[in-house]
Amino acid sequence: MSDNPRARIFARVEQASGTADTDVIARELAALGTAPGADLPAQDLATAFLANVLKNFGSADCVANRSGVVKAVAEYLYLHFRSHRLVAGNDPHLAAMPWREAGVLPRFGTVEPGEPVTLSYALLGVAEIGATVTLTGKANPAANNLLSEHHIVVVDSARLVSDMEHAWEAINQEMTRTGRPRGINFIAGPSSTADIEGKLVYGAHGPRNWHVILMGDVPASALEEAHALAGR
Amino acid sequence: MKQTSDTFLDNAHAALQDPDKIQRRDIMALFTPIIRDAAMNSFGHFEELRQHVKQVKQHTLTHLDHYLARFEQQALHNGNHVHFADDGDQMNSIVLDICQQHSARRIAKGKSMVTEETGLNDFLKRAGLRVMETDLGEYIIQQAGETPSHIVGPALHKSAAEIRELFLAKHDLGERDLAETADMVGEARRVLREHFLKAEVGIIGANALIAENGYSMLVTNEGNGDLCANLPNVLIVCTTLDRVLPRASDATAMLRLLVRSATGQPQTCYTSFYSGPRREPDTDGPLETHIVLLDNRRTEILASDYREMLQCIRCGACLNHCPIYAGVGGHAYGWVYPGPMGSILTPLLTSLEQSKALPNACTSCGRCGEVCPADIPLPELLRNLRHDETRQKLSPPRWRLGLRLHAWVARHPMLYHTLTGLGIFAMYLLGRRKGGFARLPMAAGWTSQRDFPAPQGRTFMHQYAALQRENEARAHKGRLAAQQTAAQGTPAPQPSGPDRVAPDRPETGGDTSGRAAPGRGKPRRGKPGRARPGRARPGRSESGRPGPGRIEPSLGEGWQDDER
Repeated sequence: MSDNPRARIFARVEQASGTADTDVIARELAALGTAPGADLPAQDLATAFLANVLKNFGSADCVANRSGVVKAVAEYLYLHFRSHRLVAGNDPHLAAMPWREAGVLPRFGTVEPGEPVTLSYALLGVAEIGATVTLTGKANPAANNLLSEHHIVVVDSARLVSDMEHAWEAINQEMTRTGRPRGINFIAGPSSTADIEGKLVYGAHGPRNWHVILMGDVPASALEEAHALAGR
Repeated sequence: MKQTSDTFLDNAHAALQDPDKIQRRDIMALFTPIIRDAAMNSFGHFEELRQHVKQVKQHTLTHLDHYLARFEQQALHNGNHVHFADDGDQMNSIVLDICQQHSARRIAKGKSMVTEETGLNDFLKRAGLRVMETDLGEYIIQQAGETPSHIVGPALHKSAAEIRELFLAKHDLGERDLAETADMVGEARRVLREHFLKAEVGIIGANALIAENGYSMLVTNEGNGDLCANLPNVLIVCTTLDRVLPRASDATAMLRLLVRSATGQPQTCYTSFYSGPRREPDTDGPLETHIVLLDNRRTEILASDYREMLQCIRCGACLNHCPIYAGVGGHAYGWVYPGPMGSILTPLLTSLEQSKALPNACTSCGRCGEVCPADIPLPELLRNLRHDETRQKLSPPRWRLGLRLHAWVARHPMLYHTLTGLGIFAMYLLGRRKGGFARLPMAAGWTSQRDFPAPQGRTFMHQYAALQRENEARAHKGRLAAQQTAAQGTPAPQPSGPDRVAPDRPETGGDTSGRAAPGRGKPRRGKPGRARPGRARPGRSESGRPGPGRIEPSLGEGWQDDER
């Protein structure tokens, strides 16, 4: 027996595993088909996404374009902090926003301890789970998802997908283009815990508030319907 | 972690002395199945998903050599250091070596049952490292010097008042109330945030390892695991080789089952996939990443008849649905994994001799198997372990003799029915006046808590045979009447429900199971507060119970099968 744990473990695994060619294994796996996903709460993808964001105890806003995003961010900041300061990753989509229109003063970079609001631009929104997907990197440092009190995420309605399987298709496409990111983060709600007597509390370690701004061509009634579907 | 599974009965007895904890466990046992059922019902395709994920997992285990090698190759390609550990000591040493190489003093640790299994915290502490658990539940029990009582909610055995006292004693933060749960959560957040920002090494577990791209999946609600994975300069992922899945989409398919089964949520707040160290031009993230893959007898399980146990996704649903777990709590099991999954894993990962009480801590109610999202036949595996216990002569000789005798009698149906018929009739004669027995030979444990109801004279099988004969006679009579009336040219009268059988003894409530009529026995003695309403077995509701016309006389077979 080898004195190398790796060799020993592989020897034991090989002894217990079936021997088959890579092609045969791939065919066997493909023959298993795909997993069923959860039913969407609404037929319209944007409505379904927003409803699940709200069910995950996020808050949401719908805007038509980049000017709408800037205005919505400004209102959110003023409502919570009476200021227009926030930290955003070096994402070209965010850099190109007309911030001056609403007097918002983003600092582009990585959040520092004590800075209360961060802004991210999502690669995708996943309707099935009401989640935003961001990739770590210069455009969205991981700390920006985690260290602030309020995390605002902008999602382009053209980048909504119905379920996890479609999310992976889109992520794999992106990885083919840009290489594998260090981290892929599906965020579906503010940080929470129920570790004390099962009582749900927000702001366990990460943001206490998670606000999603859906930008683009979305039915006028989507947000209202989503609130009705989520019951909040 | 020191194992005390061999004193399970004493541990269980001690656990039943604390009324507050008993009440908390009862509430959890009532509440957690409800939220799990609601989540599964709203999902709508539970069985289809369960079967799909099970097939993928079984396929992966069948070709684990292929997928493990693929994962290793991809993880190395992503810039990780990949380590293999035969056992817990090796894993602990690998982790300490990495910490030493970086002169690390502060470790931020995410929730990981694998590192509980290896006793990593104590190992690192002995070397002078400051290891801080960052999941709130794990942090609470670490401060209290305790071990997890549940694999998902490790501190659910503690009351808010106990946690408040703990925080007031452990955090030197001056006078404060901590009256609300949110205040305590806020205080832990402040204390741990400081630690996160100063830690040199982060340690996390993994919910899945993805062979196609070398990523590991981390699922949390608090985001603490992500802080461990992103803030310190060094990241160590401590996990086991059975976490490997072929594709990223397989991991998220499994996640659909995991979150609903664990907490009743449709999705956890943070589901993250990490590939390795930071890349150019990343501005944050660890500079160096390690993945430590532990075996610790899992390859033995892979090669054994207990391979299905490696399908376990660590959701805790079997704990939440187990009447024994609800009764005695997680600590009684005496090691890392409690409940039905723990009663199988503990003997397999440690030794059956040391933990033989655990597979016996089972009522054979079957709920764990029904709710298991990985479709592991948990009751069957528990029974097989009991079988192994008997074969290896680990159980007391008297017990084995009794079982052999029972098995022999049960294999001779005529003798079995005769003996049980005589026994039941004798008990009927002896107990009919009082309606029950306060004491019975060889059943003192049972009668110390309750009366044994007197049987009603005949066994179920006797009554069933009599009903069958009665039904046949009635049907025969009906057929004769129909022939006669057909001959006379008038419609035949219908027999009055040939399948609806009149109870054998309607004056005693028609109980055909040999139980006493309600109200005849004395009330339960000992622990009046512990009365628990009878739970219907899922999928076997009152309305779904087989009616008298559909009962298959398989009772003897089932009895023969068990405990040989």
